[in-house]
Amino acid sequence: MTQTQTLMALFGVTPEDLKKLINIALSKGGSYADLYFEHSLANEISLRDGEVNSAGSHIDYGMGVRVLYGDQTGYAYTEITTMEEMERAAKVASQIASGSAGDSRIANTSTKILYEYTNKNGYYPVLNQWDDVSISFKIPYLKELDATIFEADSRVSKVMGRISDSNTKILFFNSDGVMATDIRPMFSIVATCIMESEGRVENGSTSRSFRAGYEYLTKEMVREISKEVVSKTAFQFEAIQPKGGEMAVVMGAGSSGILLHEAIGHAFEADFNRQNTSIFADKLGKKICSEDISVVDDGTIPFNRGSLNIDDEGVPSQKTYMVKNGILTSYLHDRISASYYKTEPTGNGRRESFRYMPLPRMRATYMENGSQSEQDIISSVKRGIFADNFSNGQVQIGAGDFTFFVKSGYMIENGKLTQPVKDINIIGNGPEALADIVAVADNFRIDDATWSCGKEQYCAVSCGMPSVLVKKLTVGGVQ
Amino acid sequence: MKERDRDIARVALELALKSGCSGSRITMSVNTQSSFSVRNDKLDRLMQANSSSLFIQLFADGRYGSFSTNRTEKNELKQFISKAVDITRLISPDQNRVLPEKRYYFNGDERDLGQYDNSIESIDPSDKTLIAHKCAAEIFNTDKKIIAVNCEYGDSDEYLYIIDSQGFEGTNKQTNFSLSAECSVKGSGDSRPEGWWYESSLFFDKLIKDGVGHKAFKRAASRLNPKKLRSGLYIMVLENTVSSRVVAPIISALNGAALQQNNSFLRGKLGERLFSPKFQLFDTPHLYGANGSRYFDGEGIATKPMNVIENGVVKSYYINTYFSRKLDMPVTIEGPSVPSCKYSDSVNSVKATTSLDDILKKCNTGIFVTGFNGGNSNSSTGDFSFGVQGFYFENGVIVHPIKEMNITGNIITLWNNIIDTGTDPRESSRWLIPTLAFESVNFSGI
Repeated sequence: MTQTQTLMALFGVTPEDLKKLINIALSKGGSYADLYFEHSLANEISLRDGEVNSAGSHIDYGMGVRVLYGDQTGYAYTEITTMEEMERAAKVASQIASGSAGDSRIANTSTKILYEYTNKNGYYPVLNQWDDVSISFKIPYLKELDATIFEADSRVSKVMGRISDSNTKILFFNSDGVMATDIRPMFSIVATCIMESEGRVENGSTSRSFRAGYEYLTKEMVREISKEVVSKTAFQFEAIQPKGGEMAVVMGAGSSGILLHEAIGHAFEADFNRQNTSIFADKLGKKICSEDISVVDDGTIPFNRGSLNIDDEGVPSQKTYMVKNGILTSYLHDRISASYYKTEPTGNGRRESFRYMPLPRMRATYMENGSQSEQDIISSVKRGIFADNFSNGQVQIGAGDFTFFVKSGYMIENGKLTQPVKDINIIGNGPEALADIVAVADNFRIDDATWSCGKEQYCAVSCGMPSVLVKKLTVGGVQ
Repeated sequence: MKERDRDIARVALELALKSGCSGSRITMSVNTQSSFSVRNDKLDRLMQANSSSLFIQLFADGRYGSFSTNRTEKNELKQFISKAVDITRLISPDQNRVLPEKRYYFNGDERDLGQYDNSIESIDPSDKTLIAHKCAAEIFNTDKKIIAVNCEYGDSDEYLYIIDSQGFEGTNKQTNFSLSAECSVKGSGDSRPEGWWYESSLFFDKLIKDGVGHKAFKRAASRLNPKKLRSGLYIMVLENTVSSRVVAPIISALNGAALQQNNSFLRGKLGERLFSPKFQLFDTPHLYGANGSRYFDGEGIATKPMNVIENGVVKSYYINTYFSRKLDMPVTIEGPSVPSCKYSDSVNSVKATTSLDDILKKCNTGIFVTGFNGGNSNSSTGDFSFGVQGFYFENGVIVHPIKEMNITGNIITLWNNIIDTGTDPRESSRWLIPTLAFESVNFSGI
């Protein structure tokens, strides 16, 4: 049995059913329609006070019908995949148009299999499915996490750990006759540590997340996380909230990629640009930063949290250069925006689940390597901040103002890292900050933490960066 | 909610107990929602859907598991629960995981809390679309500065049914209607400042449908030509649309989970005066028509009016059954229902009507914050740093918008520096937090 046949059986539909639903969806004159079936099984176990004493398992099942009429969207979903319920959803979505079917019906269109998942192809082949793994095999990892963290520092008073995994089965069919299937694994391990010393309490947290099977969870990973969370928490006792104001900021390699996600990534999502509300709306093909800078949104990194074999509107994933040698070369497109700009979709049409219509969303967003050493960059700064641990960010698309929250870093004084700093927000303006990147290091890395993006709906993403020097940003702080 | 949905919950409870659980709580959530978005002068998106979820909490052999599914056909449910019980039995026992003591349950059949509008099913989709169109038409093509207008009408109809193996049974139902507008205007250079406005109500007739677009445009236009100020200590006035942002770290720190994990800056502070003696924070869960009013929480425990911070003293934590046993503290409630706050001599004193204008005049000069842009706070220490947007004001009058500024400090210090509150919480908000004013707030700019 092929994966397509297996998933059609899971959702209780036949190729004829799918065509019938598409025809109903287009019955009012819609120009395009797609069906998105999803079955998701998510599990988690949690450790608290030395014991793995909480477990959970969650099933989500349903399908969504989307109808496009030009750039207008009708959407409905149902959790019950009987033809009666799906036909009802298709009729609701069809209402975005108000005419008759015209030539758009697909009764005689042949079906084209665009992508069929197997556990040996794609960007996240799986040896051991999470569905097949008992929690008995996962519990020792959390026990080891707990023991390793407590052993590492006598100030540790509490440890919380969590392993979550999910397996999402997707069946996609559209009015072009395109059929695709995908099975998307995801797992995350998160550790939180509380330390107490001389009446002070500090906390730290760290995580890893991958689209991968059980074989990716290893004792080495647990030890690495343990070491990292202890180091992050202990650091907080030495750190202060510095004096704030405008200053140079060196963004450390890895999670600094949040700068790209917030400062430019959202503003490059083509829905904002076709609506002319993004600060980058008139910048396609123009130079926006140093020619040393190339910025990518990539859905093809093996086992990366943001990777997809196909996006959520049946478009193959790809590596998309948003900025190539300083030139804005592409927005991030879904089918609607690609049609508006008369270009091809870039595989960025994503959704949280069948309950949501797809939107242009990022995947793994990163800057490619430069040529300088991180040390040389730090040495060039007379007064500023070195930031290497971030928790969250936000952007105002039209004004271009973006922020990210620094959990830890250092002051830079006369080219040297000095006072540790923590818990400060940094704010800047996207186009200005991009143009103000004056040095790019050669130490690029992807950050594999549990990043999620919350644009109307949540999607798993990741980010990466080499260390960079931004000439001027506004650093939060006290007087 | 149909009787069929309640039956599914009852079947699930029966299956859990038959599978060997000593206790179980089943929560059935059923939701119907629709939304209609208009971009400029054209319908952009319509969405309608029904959904339901079955949440299953299992107590088996002194162990605890939490599960959910939307696959509720009996045989499938039976298999799911059987597997869930097996999973639960594989983890460590936790003697503190039990159902609540029965004496805490809500068992009244009291007055209506004004949460449900029976008219929701009779509202025609074309009327909903028209509301969104009218909202956009208020401003689209009315000013050459306007680049784009997005307006959305939305409504939801939510039912919650909770049943447990100790005999608790409760139902909550709530409707919600909302209308929002976003407007982008042409700013200097490439910038396109945005403004938004939002109205919501539990009742369709009470939903404010006029002026939403105008307010969004006015807010967008007011953001033109912002300036960055010098870093320094300023008086901060926080608009009632965003003031809950500085209350949230306190509410989080009062939560039993944070307290038990030593991850709260309010741990061990019960009975201590930490904040301004004029700071009062209280919860009024039975306020008629308030978005958040309820008679019981997710465990079935009866809500009651609660003074949380009284004259600056921490009076109550949010403690559910589990953390009550872990912390050896009395059960209160799992979280806030309708929290509110005021600056007054006592929690019972009636505060004279105080508007935003009154507060701006009283403060004379400072920064009026109307929005947050990112930032976070440290749950262990209360240290915070947030990006802000808003306006510089002098002599009680707004002078110009600000840009790219942060506020940084500590939540306890901030709330010791409170100098006034308005009497103007947005009635549609779940948290009724009014305009707030603080002195000596660290702003970072130039």
